[in-house]
Amino acid sequence: MTINLNGLGIDYGVILPEIIVVITAIVVLGLDLVIPVGRRNWLAALALIGLVGAIVASLPLWGQNRPAFADTVVGDDLAVFFNILLLSVSILTILLSPRFLRALDINYGEYYVLVLGATAGMMLLAAATSLMTIFLGIELLSICLYVLSGFARTAVRSQESAMKYLLLGGFATGFLLYGMALIYGATGATTLRGIAAFTGAAGNNAAGNVLLLLGIGFLAVGLAFKASAAPFHMWTPDVYEGAPTIVTTFMSVATKSAAFAAIGRVFIATFPSIAARWYFPLAIIAIFSLFIGNLVAITEDNLKRMLAYSGIAHAGYIFLGILPGTSQGFAATLFYIASYSVMNFGAFAVLTTLGAAGEETADISYWRGLFYRRPFLATVMTIFMLSLAGIPPTVGFFAKLFIFQSLVSAQIWLPLAIAIIMTVVSFYYYLRVVVAMITVPEEGLVKPARPGFSTSTVLAVAAVATIGLGIFPATVLGWATHAASLHF
Amino acid sequence: MSWFTLPTGVPWLTLSIVIPLAGALLVAIAPAVARRTIKQLGILSAVITLALVAAIIGGFQHGVGNLQFQFEETLKWIPSAGISYHLGVDGVSLFLLGLNALLFLIAIAVVDPETPRLKQFVLLLLLLEAATAGILLALDLILFYVFWEAMLVPLYFLIGVWGEGRRVYAAFKFLIYTVIGSFAMLVAILAVAGISFSQTGQLSFDWAVLVQHPATGSWTMPFSLGAIGIQQLLFLGFALAFAIKMPLFPLHTWLPAAYTAAPIPVMVVFAGLVSKLGAYGFIRFNLGLFPQASHSYGGFLAVLATIGIVYGAFMALVQTDLKRLVAYASMSHLGFIGLGIFTGNVLGIEGALVQMVNHGVIIAALFLIVGMIERRAGTRERAQLRGLAAVAPVFAALFLIVSLAALGLPGLNGFVGEFLIMLGAWSSFVPLAVGAGIGVILAAWYVLRFYQGSFQDVPVEPTGFGELRWIDTGVLAPLLALMVVIGISPNFFPAAVEATVRALPVVVR
Repeated sequence: MTINLNGLGIDYGVILPEIIVVITAIVVLGLDLVIPVGRRNWLAALALIGLVGAIVASLPLWGQNRPAFADTVVGDDLAVFFNILLLSVSILTILLSPRFLRALDINYGEYYVLVLGATAGMMLLAAATSLMTIFLGIELLSICLYVLSGFARTAVRSQESAMKYLLLGGFATGFLLYGMALIYGATGATTLRGIAAFTGAAGNNAAGNVLLLLGIGFLAVGLAFKASAAPFHMWTPDVYEGAPTIVTTFMSVATKSAAFAAIGRVFIATFPSIAARWYFPLAIIAIFSLFIGNLVAITEDNLKRMLAYSGIAHAGYIFLGILPGTSQGFAATLFYIASYSVMNFGAFAVLTTLGAAGEETADISYWRGLFYRRPFLATVMTIFMLSLAGIPPTVGFFAKLFIFQSLVSAQIWLPLAIAIIMTVVSFYYYLRVVVAMITVPEEGLVKPARPGFSTSTVLAVAAVATIGLGIFPATVLGWATHAASLHF
Repeated sequence: MSWFTLPTGVPWLTLSIVIPLAGALLVAIAPAVARRTIKQLGILSAVITLALVAAIIGGFQHGVGNLQFQFEETLKWIPSAGISYHLGVDGVSLFLLGLNALLFLIAIAVVDPETPRLKQFVLLLLLLEAATAGILLALDLILFYVFWEAMLVPLYFLIGVWGEGRRVYAAFKFLIYTVIGSFAMLVAILAVAGISFSQTGQLSFDWAVLVQHPATGSWTMPFSLGAIGIQQLLFLGFALAFAIKMPLFPLHTWLPAAYTAAPIPVMVVFAGLVSKLGAYGFIRFNLGLFPQASHSYGGFLAVLATIGIVYGAFMALVQTDLKRLVAYASMSHLGFIGLGIFTGNVLGIEGALVQMVNHGVIIAALFLIVGMIERRAGTRERAQLRGLAAVAPVFAALFLIVSLAALGLPGLNGFVGEFLIMLGAWSSFVPLAVGAGIGVILAAWYVLRFYQGSFQDVPVEPTGFGELRWIDTGVLAPLLALMVVIGISPNFFPAAVEATVRALPVVVR
């Protein structure tokens, strides 16, 4: 039997961004062996160069629809949208990293390799159009993140979080893989295009195919786990709390985004013909996430845990945009993901900055009177909190507005009502942080270390983007609308 | 007809939002220790804004009706979602814009330079001014909503940080009430645009577009509760937001806490202006976009407004704390404004518009006076104040004028609005006009008791109560002047707003 490679559509241009990131990771890994210990910042610089190169390599794919490698990946607007988003998050993470790593005495070169590896996995997930590549992407990013969560090796908290993440993540991967197997068994295809062709065909009665529906259900569980949506969220607060804050910053934003790229491709593009079947389970996930995230966040005094629950709640809002199954809704989802990335990254980045001196800063009592000790940090944190709550003129408002708009057009009233009530609830815990920061400080509070230049720059960029996108959201919404027009 | 013509091509309305923002920016970069500079910067930007708004009022063409706006500015904002940056001014918003600029100038002028964290205080006041100006000028519903919500943030901090007593609780209660109303309005906004989209095929949040296509149809409620008109449903969404902000009985329970907690400069704009924005919203959006629903719910809301008049008046009667007394008096007067709006006829709405300006002027003056009394006497308890007229005769004279205006004496401004509203109510709901009349009588009672209790009789010994300083006279003077001017030329406002009011869909129908 001869193998014919001609029909497979080998097109390295489509995965060039991923290739660049992976090669950078390998080079950083090799260089780490020879570079003097005091010069590890060079590794960060090299990683930055690679990430910027990957952004440049992504741009030519905009406006194209290039399936490659036997339909397992695609170079389209959605992939480019997520490439740029994920790479930017990576760049900002690496800019914040050296100072934080030095402070915790965990400044090892492997850190950058793992961040690059996770980024490559997320990018692959966003470009994946086959069950195999989806799995590959998820595993690549997960394994890197398991190690990163435990990167503060000497801290028991960090080890515990890595262990928890690994065990639960492995469990979720099992669901994912089992679901994929069932879907393959039902449809006889592994590419999303093939699966879509099967479910769309009139004679196949996909809506009544139990095997397929069960498979979709398991797939949803696996992906919802990665997106940290309730009721598959149990790992989130513990892992976010235990992992080094810089890792939490990265993963809270990037993992969720990548997971929703896959969710969009699977549910909106692949299974539109059986939308009535997946609408209800996804609506339940969204509603659970809104309730659990927002209500539990009220009770948390630890800001890392509070933001973890807030992240669960935001996963709920993002899921709401999937529910209509329209490209308008998906565009709102993408806009939400982009704005969530900016504001949540910012909030965690402030936490990282405060924790860079090594003290325990996540408890809300530490934040009392921050406004008088570090006005810059307190001001940007206020902006991020207002944005997460969805108060204009920040980007968080338009993110919610577009989601609500898509729900109104699709006449989905009950989830909308719950989302709105829960948004009112969320005002409480976001504003609580702000109130703590403006409360007159007690005596004897330590003045946190002055943020460095690169840290201040990252925070300023995130804050300006949060307000700037809240005043001029049209451009990014336009990109999101382009990226959301998926079809097979 | 206008007094003079302003050059076209200048974004006058945008400027009236941008100048306070620019002032806020200047305050933000000023060093926190330069207290005098900060206050001067605040006053300067408020003065420039006031001059600008005065120019806009002067350049406003009177008698332009038919839902026409002036000084319109339209820019694309988020075209794919049908959202535009559309500003405009008409008879409904014109004088409120003037009130806005005036009251913020006064509020910043009376800020105590020794206020802790003065810089942030002035900064937030200027941000608030920009937001309230935006609310009055925005003609795109989403733009309006953005300003409406943006107004909350500075108010929340102004009450929560600089307030007195249970300030954090009060700020939070106010915030949660308002936000609940706001979200009801947001859903209604989205639905209005969605319905207009299904009728016209054009997605737009522009008031001028939506007013042409009032929603029709009805919705069958689940659990066999019967059917409700879509327009009625949308009306309720908007009404909830505005009724809470006004506040309309029985949604007023945030008011005593917030009004008692807020510092005096904030009260001047909070009671003087922000409460009126709810009434403005009723006229602009509820009466404008949902004329049929306004007729079906107008009577009900007018009853609530009248209950508010009487309830507020009785509550004011039993207060011993002067600040709370004025807070309830404000609620009672806002009931008059609500009653005028919901009569749905020209006289009532005109009266409401006039009374909005009057109420802003009177209540701001009353809160200023409460602040002045408290600073001198160290208390706001009526029982501990006596005979202040003997030691501060000028103060007493000015206060008497304000009191008489507040109780609606003919010849002063309060009478003009109340009279028009009563006329309007008489032609729509006779019993309510009687109820409102009771409110007027009670107003005379509590206002005169306030005056007599604190200013007449023999002073308490020893008295440390000082006469008005020039700055106190200075901030009261423009308000007193307005009370007299409006009182003796009562036809001025109605003439300017009449064309706009006559074109309102609710009146046309």
